[in-house]
Amino acid sequence: MMKRPCGTFDESYAQDLACVRTPFRWTMLVVLFALLFGGIPLVASDYFLGVMNLIGITVIAMLGLNILTGYCGQISIGHAAFIAVGAYTSAILSEHLGWPFWATLPSAMFVSGLMGLIVGLPSLRIKGFYIAISTLAFHYIIIWVILHGGDLTKGVWGLSCDFPKLFGMELDTEMEMYFLIMPIAVLGTAGAFNLTRTKFGRAFIAVRDNDIAAEFMGYNIFKLKALAFIISSLYAGAAGSLLAHYLGMITIEQFPLIDSIWYLGMLIVGGMGSITGAIFGAFAFRLLAQLVIYITPLIGQVIPAVSVSGVAGFTQMLFGTVIILFLVLEPRGLNHRWQIILSSFRIWPFPY
Amino acid sequence: MEFFSQLLVSGILTGSVYALMALGIVVIYKASSVFNFAHGSIVAFSAYLLWSFVVQLHMNLLLAVVCTLIGLAILAWLIQRLILYPLTGQPILAAIVATLALGEVLAGFVTLLWPGPARTYPKFFPSGTFHLGATVISLESVINFLICALAFIAFMLFFQKSKLGLVMRGTAEDHQLARSEGVKINRIFVLAWFVAIIMAAIGGFLMAQMHGVNQEPLIALGMKSLAVVILGGMESVLGAVLAGITIGMLEALGAGYLDPIVGGGVEEVFPFVILLVVLLIKPYGLFGYQRIERV
Repeated sequence: MMKRPCGTFDESYAQDLACVRTPFRWTMLVVLFALLFGGIPLVASDYFLGVMNLIGITVIAMLGLNILTGYCGQISIGHAAFIAVGAYTSAILSEHLGWPFWATLPSAMFVSGLMGLIVGLPSLRIKGFYIAISTLAFHYIIIWVILHGGDLTKGVWGLSCDFPKLFGMELDTEMEMYFLIMPIAVLGTAGAFNLTRTKFGRAFIAVRDNDIAAEFMGYNIFKLKALAFIISSLYAGAAGSLLAHYLGMITIEQFPLIDSIWYLGMLIVGGMGSITGAIFGAFAFRLLAQLVIYITPLIGQVIPAVSVSGVAGFTQMLFGTVIILFLVLEPRGLNHRWQIILSSFRIWPFPY
Repeated sequence: MEFFSQLLVSGILTGSVYALMALGIVVIYKASSVFNFAHGSIVAFSAYLLWSFVVQLHMNLLLAVVCTLIGLAILAWLIQRLILYPLTGQPILAAIVATLALGEVLAGFVTLLWPGPARTYPKFFPSGTFHLGATVISLESVINFLICALAFIAFMLFFQKSKLGLVMRGTAEDHQLARSEGVKINRIFVLAWFVAIIMAAIGGFLMAQMHGVNQEPLIALGMKSLAVVILGGMESVLGAVLAGITIGMLEALGAGYLDPIVGGGVEEVFPFVILLVVLLIKPYGLFGYQRIERV
C-alpha cells in the first residue's frame, strides 16, 4: 500500500488498480527511461556500458530468484546452476547447430524451466530448510553433469558462443549489447512486477507466509511451488543465454557455488520480496565489485605482502561481511530505506 | 570380490571422518537449531591454522594444537556473539544465508592469508601398509579411524557423563526451561559451536594429513557432511555416525564401479545424489524427528 498525502484520492477502479498511480511517478518513470536508453549510452564509456550490461543480466537473474525466494519463500542455493543450464543450452545450440539468437534464447529458457520443474519436484515432500539443501545438491549435480558432458559441453574447456544476430545485424559491441540486454531487463522487470499483482503472485506470498494456512485456503501448494521454481528458472535461463551470447565464451568456472550464494546475498542486501529490492541488490553487488577492482591496486601498494590471489580472498571476505552486516543491521535491505525516503518525500512537510 | 572389499574398507575409513564432521553439524543444530553451512570453510580454516602454527611458527605438535584450540574458541565466540545472537528469532532464511556468508568470509580469509598451492604437514604418523586377507590397508588410514573413534568416545563421554554435557543436552531439549533453571544459554551456544568446530578441525586435520592442506577439497568435504547429516537425521548423533560410514562406503563403491563408465569424479557428486534420494524417500533421515506443524 502506497502512503500518500491526504487529499489524494483514487476516483475510479482503474485508478486504484494502476501500476503507476501519480503524475509524479509517471514523470519519474519517463526520466528513468530517458536516462536508461538515452543518457547513459550517450555519455558512458565502453567500460561502463560493459558494467551496465553485466548489471542488466544480473537483474534478470535476480528477478527470478526474487520470485522464488522473496515471494514464494523457497530458498534456492542453486541459482547459478540454472543460469549455467541456460548459458550452456544457448552455447550448445549456437555452436553445434548454428541456431540464431532469437531461437536460442527461448530454448534456453525452456530447458532451464524444465530443469526448474525437476528441481522443484522435491518440494512435494519437503519444505523450508530441506528445500535449500536439495537445491544445493542439485547445484553440485548439474555442474558435475555439465563438466562431464563429453563433446556436447566440452568439459573444462568450455564452449564458444556466437554474438547475437538480429535483423541481419551482428551485435558485437558493448553499445549494441546494451540495447539488447536492457530492453529484455525492462520487460522482465515489468513481467515480474505484474506477476506479483496477479492471483499467482498473491498465492506465492500466501505460501511464503504460511504454507499450511495457504493449503487450507484451497491453494494447491505443490503446484504453486513448482510454478515458482519454473518461473524462477525461466528468468535464470534468459540471464544465462544473454550471458553466453554476451561473453562469447563460457566455461564451467563462471558458475561456481559461490555465485549462488552471492545471488542470495544480493536478495538480502536489496530487500526480499520486492522488485525494486532485486534491482537494488544487483546494482549494489556489481558496483561493489567494481569498487573492489578500483581499490585493489591501492591495497597492493599499502600492504605488499598481499598477493593477487590474496586480493580475491579480500573480495570474498568483503562480500560475505556485507551480507552479514545487512542481515544483522537491516534485514529488510536497501529497498526498505528507499521506501522510507520515498514516503517521507511524498508526504513532506509532514512527518507521517 | 577383492576389489569390492578393498573399496568397502577404504570407504569405511573415509566414512569415519565424515561421521566426525557430521557430529559437529548435529551438535550446533541440536543446541541452537541453526544449520551450519559454513562447516566446510571451518574445516579448511582450522587445517590451515594448525599448519601455520606447526610449519610457519615451528611449534611442536602439542603446543600448536593448544594454540589452534585457543584460536578456534575465539572463532566460536565471535560467530555466536557477532552473527547468530543478533539473528535470534529471525526467519530461517536469515540463519541459512548468515552461515553461507560466514563460510565465504572464512574461505576468503584463508585465501588472503595462505594463498597459492596446497601445503603439506610434516609426517606425524608412521606410513606403511599391511594386508588383511587380500585387502591392502594403509597404516595412516587406520590411525585416522582410531582417532575418529577416540574423538567419538570422548564426545559421548562428554555428553553422557559430564555436568556441562548434561546442561547442553538440556538446553537442546528446551531453551526456555533451561533458561529458567539458570542456564546461560548463549554460553551454551558458544560451547556448542566450539565442540562442533573441534570436530571439524579433527576431521580437517586427518584429511589434510593424508591429502595435503588444500582449501577446495576440504570445503567440499565439509559440504559432503551435509549429506551425511540429512541421511542420519538432523537431531541424531547415532544417525550421524552410521550415515557417515554408510555414505563413505557408498561413495567408495560408487566411485569404484561407476568411474570407468562415466569417466571419473563420481565421488565428488555421489553423496549429493544420495542426499536427494533420501530427501525424496525419507526426508527426516534415518533417526530424525518427524516435525508436526500447526498453523
